[in-house]
Amino acid sequence: MPTASQKPLELILARNLMSALSTPAFLVDEGGLLVFYNEAAGMLLGKRFEELGTVGPEEWGALFGPFDRDGEPIPYDELPLVVAVRDDRPAHANFEIRSADGTHHRVEASAFPIQTTHGSRGAIAVFWPAAENGTGG
Amino acid sequence: MKAKLWGTRGSIPSPGPETIRYGGNTSCVGVTLSDGSLLALDAGTGIRNLGLSLPEEPTRLHILLTHLHLDHIQGLVFFAPCFRPQTEIVIWGPASPEASLRDRIARYISAPLSPVEVRELPCDVSFRHTPETEWEIGPARIRAASVAHRGPTLGYRIDDGEDSLAYIPDHEPALGADLDALEEEWISGFALARDASLLIHDGQYADAEYPDHLGWGHSSLSHALSFARRTGGERTVLFHHDPLHSDEQLDRLGAEARERWAAAGGDPAAIELGVEGAELEARALLPSSAKAP
Repeated sequence: MPTASQKPLELILARNLMSALSTPAFLVDEGGLLVFYNEAAGMLLGKRFEELGTVGPEEWGALFGPFDRDGEPIPYDELPLVVAVRDDRPAHANFEIRSADGTHHRVEASAFPIQTTHGSRGAIAVFWPAAENGTGG
Repeated sequence: MKAKLWGTRGSIPSPGPETIRYGGNTSCVGVTLSDGSLLALDAGTGIRNLGLSLPEEPTRLHILLTHLHLDHIQGLVFFAPCFRPQTEIVIWGPASPEASLRDRIARYISAPLSPVEVRELPCDVSFRHTPETEWEIGPARIRAASVAHRGPTLGYRIDDGEDSLAYIPDHEPALGADLDALEEEWISGFALARDASLLIHDGQYADAEYPDHLGWGHSSLSHALSFARRTGGERTVLFHHDPLHSDEQLDRLGAEARERWAAAGGDPAAIELGVEGAELEARALLPSSAKAP
């Protein structure tokens, strides 16, 4: 029997779709681990996924934030992606992220869980530039 | 472990003088395990002849369905053991959020599409959703996993001692992805097929045909060859032939497959097109020269 790790099909198909989008999109597995983001997200962050690789919450927070309106770090477990995975519900937030060159970008993020007949597989988040008076985070 | 191809065609039965050598029956493979017990992979029209080949003694049969498209279940109501009270049949297949496996199959085995209903079948039939973890049937360990196709679709891997068979007849692993560049863990079906003694895989389209069928859930020849190369199996059978492909077209496709396999450094004898009625060994430990390039 094979022992190689194999991503669930739902994550594979999500990654394939995200790869074709020009909207920044992020993918986490059922454990909340960031397993992919697309080229548009890489442009926003200033670092391609291939350069960064799979990262956990602490490393993600140290690299990119995010931050609330007062510039305070937002705990990882309050991020829409994490809420979507943990609580199996969609989540939305408005916050700032810091790209690799130090530039801050205010974005709105919407995340939804990936549910299958075998349970949760992870979650997808899509980012948009925040409206000037965007919804609160 | 041995496999016999009872139906190699995809989509719709395609009998006729143009398809007489590769066959016109739809997907069905009979797998004989090391203890002599039998599994049927899919129940396309090929399963009718499989059923006719079986003795009438009391027996227990397992049918592993990849999905419920008609070319994979059409033969069920013509499978002779279904009409033998002394036969126990266990049908495995993918779960769906919409309805049970039994209820979904019953849409076909019911009026007006069928003269009999599931409840009227004389055999002792049960329906089971495949588990996420491997399970055992006789001496074999079975594993099912979702693969890229339209609708809930599984591929299977059967390990019996050192021998292994991977069966992924309907598969479009290259949809939105570059198979040659993708990391292994992100390739649909990879873990099922990895280092299999025998891989039976979708090879429905010639490369020139694929652009008109993007997203239909099937592989081009290039995609099938890439998948076989990446997964490293010992022998690959291209399967689920397009119903429009004549024997002559399939001969050319097979020749191209062998040439390209050899050009990439593989043994051309390790890749072939499935022929209805062919009997194959799923045996490990072929010479390393026969491994994927």
